Amino acid sequence: MKITRKAGLGVTIGAAMLSFVSVAQAQQGSPILIGATVPMTGPLSLTGKQYQNSLSMAEEDINKAGGINGRHIKIVFEDTQASNGTAVNAFVKLAQETKPAFFFLSSYSTQNLATAPELSKVQVPAMYAGGADVVADKGNEWMFRIRPADSVSAEGMVKAAVDVIKAKKPGILYIQNDFGQGGAQTAAKRFEAAGIAVAGMEAYGQNDKDFSAQLLSLRNKGADAILIFNYPQDGALVLRQAKQLGFKMPLVTSSAALVPAATQLLSPSDLEGVWGVVDAFMDVSVGGRMKDYVERFKSKFGVDPDPYGLAYYDGAMLMADGMRKAGTDPKALREWLSSVKGWQGIGHVYSYDNKGNGVRDLAVVKAKPGTKTLELVQPVSLN
Amino acid sequence: MAMRIPLQIATAIIVLGGISGMVLPEYHLRLLNLSLISAVAVIGLNFAFGYAGLISLGHAAFVGMGGYGLAILTTTCGWSPWLAAPVAIAATAISAGLIGYPLLRLRGHYLALATLGLNVSFYIVTSNWIAMTGGTNGIARIPGLALGSFSFSGEHQFLWLALMVLALIAAAAAALHKSRLGREMIAVRDDEIASEMTGIDTTRIKIEAFVLSAICAAVAGCLFALHMRFVAPEDFTYAHSITYLAMLIVGGEGTIVGAVLGAVLLTFLPEWLRFLGTAYLFFFGLLVLGILVFLPTGLVGLGQRLSRRSAKTPLLASARAPEATS
Amino acid sequence: MADFVQLIINGLAIGSVYALAAIGFVIVYSATGVVNFAAGQFVMFGTFAGVATLVNAQLPWPFAYGAALLIMALFGALFFVSVYLPLRRGSIVTIIIGTVAVSITMQNAALLSFGSWPFRLPSPVEDSAVSLGGAIISLHALAVVAVTAVMVAGLWLLFNRTSVGVGMRAVAQDVQAARLMGLKVNRLLAFSWILAAVLAGVAGLMLGPMWFADVNMGDPIALKAFAATIIGGFGSLPGAIVGGLFVGLSEVLGASYVSSAYKDLISFGIMIAFLLVRPQGVFGEKIQDRG
Repeated sequence: MKITRKAGLGVTIGAAMLSFVSVAQAQQGSPILIGATVPMTGPLSLTGKQYQNSLSMAEEDINKAGGINGRHIKIVFEDTQASNGTAVNAFVKLAQETKPAFFFLSSYSTQNLATAPELSKVQVPAMYAGGADVVADKGNEWMFRIRPADSVSAEGMVKAAVDVIKAKKPGILYIQNDFGQGGAQTAAKRFEAAGIAVAGMEAYGQNDKDFSAQLLSLRNKGADAILIFNYPQDGALVLRQAKQLGFKMPLVTSSAALVPAATQLLSPSDLEGVWGVVDAFMDVSVGGRMKDYVERFKSKFGVDPDPYGLAYYDGAMLMADGMRKAGTDPKALREWLSSVKGWQGIGHVYSYDNKGNGVRDLAVVKAKPGTKTLELVQPVSLN
Repeated sequence: MAMRIPLQIATAIIVLGGISGMVLPEYHLRLLNLSLISAVAVIGLNFAFGYAGLISLGHAAFVGMGGYGLAILTTTCGWSPWLAAPVAIAATAISAGLIGYPLLRLRGHYLALATLGLNVSFYIVTSNWIAMTGGTNGIARIPGLALGSFSFSGEHQFLWLALMVLALIAAAAAALHKSRLGREMIAVRDDEIASEMTGIDTTRIKIEAFVLSAICAAVAGCLFALHMRFVAPEDFTYAHSITYLAMLIVGGEGTIVGAVLGAVLLTFLPEWLRFLGTAYLFFFGLLVLGILVFLPTGLVGLGQRLSRRSAKTPLLASARAPEATS
Repeated sequence: MADFVQLIINGLAIGSVYALAAIGFVIVYSATGVVNFAAGQFVMFGTFAGVATLVNAQLPWPFAYGAALLIMALFGALFFVSVYLPLRRGSIVTIIIGTVAVSITMQNAALLSFGSWPFRLPSPVEDSAVSLGGAIISLHALAVVAVTAVMVAGLWLLFNRTSVGVGMRAVAQDVQAARLMGLKVNRLLAFSWILAAVLAGVAGLMLGPMWFADVNMGDPIALKAFAATIIGGFGSLPGAIVGGLFVGLSEVLGASYVSSAYKDLISFGIMIAFLLVRPQGVFGEKIQDRG
């Protein structure tokens, strides 16, 4: 296990150096510069590394396929840490010094919100993966979301609880951050609209390690299923502790608890009775481009890809498509992106609305009994 | 005569800052603005710690109160920032007084950990009081400051605002240093019992120092909100409080010049280390440790040592003397 | 009732980890006067020492634990030489900032060598549980409580029945006097750091299987250990234990009976209340002046 990870690190470094060399060789005609601000250190680097990997892979694939009408692209990364301030600094540094034609922002809504005013000043289109609805509702015409919004994910989880599990009295457990607070509120409203009473809502802090109080309290309130709004590591821990407490009721977790970084922490038994509402179902059994992506990512970086990283890959491909068709002029590219309808990515179908929301599809998954291999229960598409 | 040093400091800040503003590229201008905002907060911390010896690890909470106060008044209530800022600062000062009254009986690391607990509590409240603070999503769309048709929105324009505020605060701090209150604070720091015996009301002095420090923090918080146009709980964690304290120590505790130098150095240092990739924090920690070990009196102490060694300019030495307190 | 037992045991298990972290912090504080803000990173290093020996090197249990604690002892010695000795003449604040700087370096070092993915540290009593009055108690949680009790007993023996321990207490009370008595003060100070690091190592090895290991786990633990120290009494070993268990219990019971969103306010609110009303904590501090 560990050995592959170490080897993976070696491969990553090697790949990074190789791509550096190949970019250096390919500099006939200056490359199109793309800025990417992702968390590479700090608590969020767990996911940030995935974005960096998948964006690097996209860069390579785009250049191998002839670049943008003959011109290569080059992605320049800056670290956002787990801090709004650093995220904005990283953005401004790129905007001022690299002057990229396009941006990829991090997947953390507060960082997206903090960066939005600077992006309006620079007037360059950007893709982001923060889920909070408020990011899009603030109406920054330059920002395009490449993942389902949190309200879409919450709606998907409610759908899974109502349609698949047939929960009559669901409980909600959420992490105390923008994702968890927003998701839990949306879910509670949806349940109410569907005429289903919520048994209770419990919160936990981002650094909490024991959830027995919250889980037991939901059970005591008579919850017959629990929706969990979580990040990767705490999500895995919640699933594990629920099993240790002898919980038999169905659990519906959000995407993060089933990313490879989280499932590697779990035993197959921890996933019994667990439904996941994930951004995208990623399995080689899907075949086609998904199989190709999953296998290449794994051999290249030594770790399994996750849906968040895939969203960045899809986003980069969509960007490249736009640059080929509309050029790199920021306004033209923005117009092109906002008119995208039914663009088939590997993980999602992209259709942008006037708020820059592009994704409204999810997947309900469940582990095959006795294994940690996920299988598709049903795809969810909203509106 | 009494106003000479405050004026010198204010002039130096504006001249040096103005020159930097002309030569620096825009990104570094942004960092300069951030370091000036921090410098305002650190000068405040200098009242509490450098002068009165109160170790506060909760300074960022007061920065946050100022920032949130301005953010809430301008967005939810729709006030002009010109009106919101003084109200936010006054509210922060009052809360500092109320918090300080019971808390400042503590000393040393007790006070340090109590204020740390205060900062942690501030984080928990701001991230959960969703109706008021927007929770962890924070408050966006804070209006910028404008004077007539002139808006302080770009980094260049904001630089002038930040420089003026910093110069004002620094000059006021230098004037205070020479005042009776300043001397009383230092007396309390150096020997509490002795100062009590000479008739100084030490509790009152400590609270005044604490409130002054909170006022500067709130000013910095307002500047922060007007610069970022966005505030969130994680902008004001105890880690930020520790950073402010580190800025003061690295610059040279007890001195205004040190507060400013420390703020600038610790804002730019991570930037200069970016070439190290993901290992930059590793070296950042080591460098700060190195400064603490090899420059125990901070950058100001280094400057004094160098100037004393090279040319014993009496003018320089006397200009700094009232500043260096240890 | 079953739930209550469950919560108490879980609270005690978390509290034991806080207590061990707090003990390491207190030993260093009373011997050297250093408020160690890197205490949480010590525990994180302890967990990752376990990751290195158990997961990476795949050593058998006793050897892996031994090797991990040996690594921690060496780390404690290194910390003594490279951080404590150069900083010891600094003021309280210089030392606070210095240990914070070191903790930034430690965290980044862990990220660079182990990456950002969390680890699951195995436990010798993996996944086994006992049923107690309807509550399901994991054997590992019971083991954590038991190991903490043994460590505490061992420390009591060390400080009361051995010359090294008595010497450490002498140094804690008065360095000058201890030196005049012919005690090898530096050696005893070094031993305090080593002991603190080893205790942090034990805490780290025990919490790894319960909580998963990640390189950012240190700071939250340090915060809780600080609260525990204040509540129990700064500089007091029994205080660190009582404080740690109290914080652990208040976290779990507070989340259950008060509010899960505001439960951390309870620990820190009680900590501030203690500071105001009874700054010497439950057990008081003999050595330092206080407000």
